[in-house]
Amino acid sequence: MAKTLIQYILLYIVLVLLQALVFNRICIFNVAVPYIFILFIIRLPVSLSINALLSVSFAIGLTVDIFSDTLGMHALSCTLLGLLRKPILSLYMPREDDVEGLIPTMRNIGFPVFLKYSFSVSLVYCIIISAVQMLTFSASAILLLRMVGSTILTSLIIWGIECLINSGSAQRL
Amino acid sequence: MRNLISFIIKHLSWFVAIFYIVISSLLLFNSNSFQKYVFLTSANKMSGTLYDATSSITSYFHLKGINNDLQQRNALLENELVALRQQIKELSLYCNTDSAVIDTLPHYEYFMANVINNSISKPFNYITIDKGRADGIMPEMGVVDQNGVIGIVNVVSEHYARVISLLNPNFRLSCKVKNQDCFGSLIWGGADPTEALLEEMPRHIEFIPGDTIVTSGFSAVFPEGLIVGTIIDSEKDYNDNFLSLKIKLSSDFTQLSTVRVLKNINKNEIDSLEVDKLTSR
Repeated sequence: MAKTLIQYILLYIVLVLLQALVFNRICIFNVAVPYIFILFIIRLPVSLSINALLSVSFAIGLTVDIFSDTLGMHALSCTLLGLLRKPILSLYMPREDDVEGLIPTMRNIGFPVFLKYSFSVSLVYCIIISAVQMLTFSASAILLLRMVGSTILTSLIIWGIECLINSGSAQRL
Repeated sequence: MRNLISFIIKHLSWFVAIFYIVISSLLLFNSNSFQKYVFLTSANKMSGTLYDATSSITSYFHLKGINNDLQQRNALLENELVALRQQIKELSLYCNTDSAVIDTLPHYEYFMANVINNSISKPFNYITIDKGRADGIMPEMGVVDQNGVIGIVNVVSEHYARVISLLNPNFRLSCKVKNQDCFGSLIWGGADPTEALLEEMPRHIEFIPGDTIVTSGFSAVFPEGLIVGTIIDSEKDYNDNFLSLKIKLSSDFTQLSTVRVLKNINKNEIDSLEVDKLTSR
């Protein structure tokens, strides 16, 4: 339990630092921005209470905000994502009783399920964050491009990181 | 209270979610200038639409008051209009467009007066004006308005004067056709207040209906060239040596309001000369 907690804290720090120092500077074709820190929300335990989930989501969003000088933007989006994670998860997970204490990693839930699950979360998050950033739907073409591009880029990078973690620390997590 | 607490506990996650959303929204709209701008403009737009909708409804409630205001304003402006019209009327007497009057006026002084009594239907018609001896009015002064000759002052009291109207058979006015030298004597026919007869016109001259009749200036009362009327028709006089012309009077005697009383500056001189002539004969 304590080990898991420490691993989560480590993951939290590493993801925030990666996002703040590396991925915030990436903006491909001026549309696609990777938001890799949502991997933390993806990897939170399935049985985590909704209040804890919301709090942690809010916290990581706020931390990323502080580093990227967009106060409130990611916090709001992450809170909304935290609300939506359970419905998304239930799309791909069989039943809650069977997955007590399960951590939805690639190894634990299988490659194809994790692919779909993480892509869905990325899509939802990119839709939310793009909408919050633009706030208006007047430039809907560029909004749509941003959503799609960010989703693809975020998913790709998250899959990559997940593979790295899997191969490197197969025994630990 | 227990129900409330149990309700809150039951839906705690929603409250937590709303709490976080509110906090992050506050942060978002307070610290990001673009989002703040968008929020403010859309909020303004929304409030603007709301106010528009409200005012489109509530404006009907004020219609009565607005209507009253407009009526009052209208009445005020109408009064002003009447006053200004009156002023224009009075001032237009000073700057009559009739060139003949302007030419001849230097010999004449004139006084403004208002008609306070007027008759047109009696056999002998008189007009009363509100200026008298105190204002410099004397008997035998000519009276005109903006359209033409009205009459001649007959009796003067301290503040009022009686004018023999042109519509009075006792009053004969020496007239001529404009731009011609033959002259005759204008007298009222006794029936129609818009028509008079110009008698003793020479037979050998053709008169065309529509020609203007003006004063001849052969008396000291009226200057030459004041418009009297226009020819309607010519007919034979009772003795066959002269023609008699039917004249449409230019002044509307039914609507007299402001008139001018003409004072010939040289009248006394002319009169004394003619008296001398009479006595010396």
